[in-house]
Amino acid sequence: MAVPASQFLWKIGAPAGLGVMTTGLSLSKLAARSGYHIYDYTEYPSLIKGGNNSYEVNISLDPIGMIKYGVDCLVCFDEITYKLHAERLSPNSTIVYDPNTFQPETDAQKIAIPMQELLNQLEAEKVMVNMIGLGASYALLGGEWSILELLTNQQFKRKGDEVIALNLKCARAGYDYINQHFAQVVQPILTPQPAPERRTVLAGNDAFALGAVAADCRFFAAYPMSPSSSVLEFLAGWAKQTGMVVRHAEDEIGVVNEVLGASFAGVRAATGSSGGGFALMVEALSYAGVAELPIVVFLAQRPGPATGMPTWTEQGDLLFAVNAGHGEFPKIVLAPGDPEEMTQLAMEAFDLADIYQTPVLVLSDKVLSESHYTVAVSKLETILQRPIKRGKIITKPEAQPYHRYAITEDGISPRLVPGQSESWYQANSYEHKPDSHTTEDNKERADQVDKRARKIQTYLANDYLGPQVYGDLSKADIIFYSWGGTKGAVLEAMKKITFGPEQAEQNADDPHSFAQDNPEIFKQRPQVAHLHFTHVHPMDPAALAPFFNHDKLYILVENNSTGQFGQLIKLATGFETPHKVLKYDGRPIFMEEIVAAVEKVLQNSN
Amino acid sequence: MPTMQDFAGYTPTWCPGCGNWSIGRALMMSLANQGLSPADLNVMFDIGCSGNMNDFLNASSMHTLHGRSIANGIGCKIANHEMPLIVVGGDGALYGEGGNHFLHACRGNHDMTILVHDNGVYGLTKGQTSPAAQQGYKSKTTPEGIIERPVYALLLALTQGATFIAQGFTGNLPQLSQLITAAMNHKGFAVVNILQPCVTFNKTNTYGYYFQKAYQVQDHDPSNFQAALEKCGEPMSERFPLGILYQTERPTYTDNIAALKDGPLVKAAAYTGATSLIPWFE
Repeated sequence: MAVPASQFLWKIGAPAGLGVMTTGLSLSKLAARSGYHIYDYTEYPSLIKGGNNSYEVNISLDPIGMIKYGVDCLVCFDEITYKLHAERLSPNSTIVYDPNTFQPETDAQKIAIPMQELLNQLEAEKVMVNMIGLGASYALLGGEWSILELLTNQQFKRKGDEVIALNLKCARAGYDYINQHFAQVVQPILTPQPAPERRTVLAGNDAFALGAVAADCRFFAAYPMSPSSSVLEFLAGWAKQTGMVVRHAEDEIGVVNEVLGASFAGVRAATGSSGGGFALMVEALSYAGVAELPIVVFLAQRPGPATGMPTWTEQGDLLFAVNAGHGEFPKIVLAPGDPEEMTQLAMEAFDLADIYQTPVLVLSDKVLSESHYTVAVSKLETILQRPIKRGKIITKPEAQPYHRYAITEDGISPRLVPGQSESWYQANSYEHKPDSHTTEDNKERADQVDKRARKIQTYLANDYLGPQVYGDLSKADIIFYSWGGTKGAVLEAMKKITFGPEQAEQNADDPHSFAQDNPEIFKQRPQVAHLHFTHVHPMDPAALAPFFNHDKLYILVENNSTGQFGQLIKLATGFETPHKVLKYDGRPIFMEEIVAAVEKVLQNSN
Repeated sequence: MPTMQDFAGYTPTWCPGCGNWSIGRALMMSLANQGLSPADLNVMFDIGCSGNMNDFLNASSMHTLHGRSIANGIGCKIANHEMPLIVVGGDGALYGEGGNHFLHACRGNHDMTILVHDNGVYGLTKGQTSPAAQQGYKSKTTPEGIIERPVYALLLALTQGATFIAQGFTGNLPQLSQLITAAMNHKGFAVVNILQPCVTFNKTNTYGYYFQKAYQVQDHDPSNFQAALEKCGEPMSERFPLGILYQTERPTYTDNIAALKDGPLVKAAAYTGATSLIPWFE
């Protein structure tokens, strides 16, 4: 494996309402179109106007899945942005600001642009300052104008030529100002790569929405809740084209029950929410379990309890999701680690729901839901075209009388689509006989419990997937284990631990090398590996045991305070570790925090 | 030709004299008269004595969670809008636990027939007060009498946009069956509130009470909203009009969905253009 490429982190900040989110996403797309990989990250309070919104984009020639601490270029539309992020600047950083607004006291390279004056000259509204900032940033990073021009044309196409022209004029003003006054500090960060591969700039919610369409989900009903809402918005926006029926209904209890009704009638159906809304859906999961109705629920976690911190991140609902629903019934919980996996697992979720006729939950978190990664178009096309599997669905029973809940060896019974034959059944929330009528008979009850439970064994044998292994387990001194959205931070930390010393040597003059401040202890070249879990429930103890049977140091990495996945692993294997990176302040785990934990573990073990 | 017998499932476990017997019979009569077979329609049974009809009436059905039958019905109807859909539930389920679904379903004019077994009590849990009980009604959970006024469901349905509102009485089975047929023939959200004495627990709203206070509407124009408003408000003064109280035409929820113009969602061809959405993210 080659030494990873350098990373350059650009960041923009402003009061909410000044278009920071649009500008940041534009920079991510410009980078992707120029042949680079990005990972971006936003922070914003739960407000419409005011507060401070920020958007940072980490740019590299290699795929990346996390931001880094050092900010290489900071664009400030106000002084608050500077003050909030000044500590992340170094003498190698550049700071873009309006000298008529404030004067930063910093060792960083100052790029003063009279943005308000430029706006006045262009007779543009205040919000257009974001286009000046974008044009200036893009010029500073050596970007090619034609790429920005094309993107702007495409982005504002529906708003008309006048809007396009104004946006381009403002972007151009910023772009030209840099080339006229600061040509000597322009860096070749976004210089177009020759023949770049087509790449999407994809966030977790985008990926789930795409996966749902490709999986032939025909009914999506939800009630908006941050950070899940953009799934509902995307699907609703596409409905005319896809033919999916997308409903924003009265409450979360209503939508999940509508999804059950649609599923009963034979169409693939799903809903989505965050913790609070999901909590309201829990009784219906139990109904899906006993009536053996396939449904998919997308759960984008945010910090709880209760309303918690709506626009921040956490992996705090894992055990809740795993245990959601009264009574005992099979349920599958999937936790993708990045948007590519999200597309795959969203599609798989619909298959598994149909095959096992039971609820399947797909877990995300605010950071995975809203942070963008680059995914090659060709790769995405391959995933989206994968054929779907509907399991034992029938339109006409093979024999009469039809027994919907027939006792079978694999626990799965043929499921009839209503209205297409002379046969009928009840999707019964009461315990039932094989023919679906209600029962309170002790043997019939136990038989149905056993039948439903056998689906778990069938799943573990046919569709369960153990952890993905990164690095060489047999050589590793330290093994990380984590689930879902923390994947990117762990992989970035591994790069730094494994290749930090080499990169520092090879790129001694590169101010953006991520190895600049590498801990001395890594010169011992510790070997690290990572167990990334996506199929988090149910898990197969027999398949897991070998992964935790080594005489090595393990570090659990989770975005919560109680190490919930660690508890699941302990339950399945008896294994636990004293070394944990747990974070629950609403922010994602940054790779530097994992690196610091490794440093500590190594120092203590020396 | 289907007969009532085709719809007869297990022998009902309702109390002797319970109004549910009439409702069950009126429903079977209506279905047979309409030439339907059990596999032709979807019935959403809620929880309670009413919903226990799930085992007594043969039909493609869901026996839902308490209060959620209308929500299940909306999803089911959207997935296959060509199949008639009936919701069977009590006043506790549909006006209490599921009250939010009820009022929003009126707004949406979802094409379904709602049969509300309105007996003013929770029968299956042994007689506690329901949201439709009269103010002051005493039960084990309200020993001093219920403080709240009842839900005036006919008014609620009317003001929130139901396009068919009728009231029936289990003491008049032939009319009840006709009302069910009329409701099913109506295209849109059709509410049939059925006055159903609970002979075991409700000693107030008895057959005698309704024989005295319920009456057949005559010379009433159901298309007249103002007149309907007056009729639907009469339960506020303990008068119970029987018959079709309101009926109007408005496009149903599924009428408004372009994707359903060519047939039911469940029979549509799969959309295969997911890759054409990729440029959104470039």
